[in-house]
Amino acid sequence: MRLLEYESKEILAKKGIPTPAGVLVYSPGTISLPPPVVIKAQIPIGGRQKAGGVVEALDQKEAEYKVEQMLSRTVRDYRVNKVLVEEKLDTAQEFYLGITYDTVAKEPIAIFSAEGGVDIEQLAEREPEKVQKRHFSVRTGLPEYTAREMISQASITGRTLLGLSNIFSLLATIFLENDATVTEINPLAQTKDGKRVALDCHVEIDDDALYRNPPLAQKEKDPHRVEGGRIASDFEKKATEIDNLDQRGVAGRLIEFDGNLGLIIGGGGASLTAFDAVQRHGGHPANYCEIGGNPSVLKTKELTKHILSKPGVEKIAVIMNVVSNTRVDLIARGVIKGIVEVGKNPSETLCVFRVPGAWEEEGFKILSKYGVDYCDRTVSIDEAARRGVEKLTKG
Amino acid sequence: MGEFITLDIDLGRCLGIEKCGKCIQVCPVNIFTSNGDYPKAVEANEDECTLCKLCLQGCEVDAITIHKLYEE
Repeated sequence: MRLLEYESKEILAKKGIPTPAGVLVYSPGTISLPPPVVIKAQIPIGGRQKAGGVVEALDQKEAEYKVEQMLSRTVRDYRVNKVLVEEKLDTAQEFYLGITYDTVAKEPIAIFSAEGGVDIEQLAEREPEKVQKRHFSVRTGLPEYTAREMISQASITGRTLLGLSNIFSLLATIFLENDATVTEINPLAQTKDGKRVALDCHVEIDDDALYRNPPLAQKEKDPHRVEGGRIASDFEKKATEIDNLDQRGVAGRLIEFDGNLGLIIGGGGASLTAFDAVQRHGGHPANYCEIGGNPSVLKTKELTKHILSKPGVEKIAVIMNVVSNTRVDLIARGVIKGIVEVGKNPSETLCVFRVPGAWEEEGFKILSKYGVDYCDRTVSIDEAARRGVEKLTKG
Repeated sequence: MGEFITLDIDLGRCLGIEKCGKCIQVCPVNIFTSNGDYPKAVEANEDECTLCKLCLQGCEVDAITIHKLYEE
């Protein structure tokens, strides 16, 4: 769950991290904050400034006009139903402070840069020496002395060092106490009069841990909290209906694209890997989808038929990682049955089948019977994608 | 008839639902249903067979045969 900026700032303020004075506004009218002000759309997505979701106003009249304009707008596909109006501060310097979870190291990681207000990933790639990173234990949090060590590497000293270290340590505490996956202040401003204030922040809570935080869980269920976002296409809705045919596994979480290669892919990150690999080898996916958890033959069959029904789809690639919780033979049955039922030839329509794992011997017997080229686990996802794209383009 | 699997019940051996009916009870994917006094395999469901063989183990008179059509 991505918190809105004002929700995130409420959490920061409760912990003692300074935030700008501000008011949340739901409708046009008098703004009870002296200008100049910053008007910020409250939507759960980044890139607001570039999309016109953050504007400044120098006087009261301009502020009221811009608030009214903002409340009638859509920013990055979200309808703006509330704006945060904040005092505009005179900034002397900006910093980046972030905490996230490193899934490879299986530990939280603190990230600091003396260059705030930037895309930290781009900065880390472009000028890695400007980004300090340090793992810390979920047991100890990020002690202030560790934060000081990190920040001092950026040649920051004195009161600024002490102030930033305190805020950084508190940010890590917020991360741990709220079961967050991201807590980020970008930028944290040092004002010309020496105060440190979180100008913008981003907090995401682990969805699976929301039950531990009933007030947030309640907010997440509020249908008026966020309005808009990407609307599922009819093709995607039909796929969801297929997924709901029975309770077994997943076969229908689908996002539509405009290519000619239907994808039946799955296995957590493997579906993303497969999708990227298809594109890297010059393929044009007609869809992204996820299957797994042993879906019924019926669901896989209907999903296959559905993808083949999309105009322009010529062939299907079935690519998963090595699966232990999904039977290869049942996937093979579903895909082949779907192809047969729409009157196509499986050996021509399936350009690649790479699903190794449970019951693969049985699955490979089925595929052999229908003349389908299949790959075992010795063929990587990337190579399987290459073969699929090659078969599609060269026939 | 399934594309990959068919299940035959030898009604000459089958004890019938009143005396047995275990195949209906044990099948995890509901392939069997009642057809009067005897069970029958639902053709539309045959391809869902997971080859768990619980029906074979439950049948005291060996009346059930599973055919893997892709091996024939």
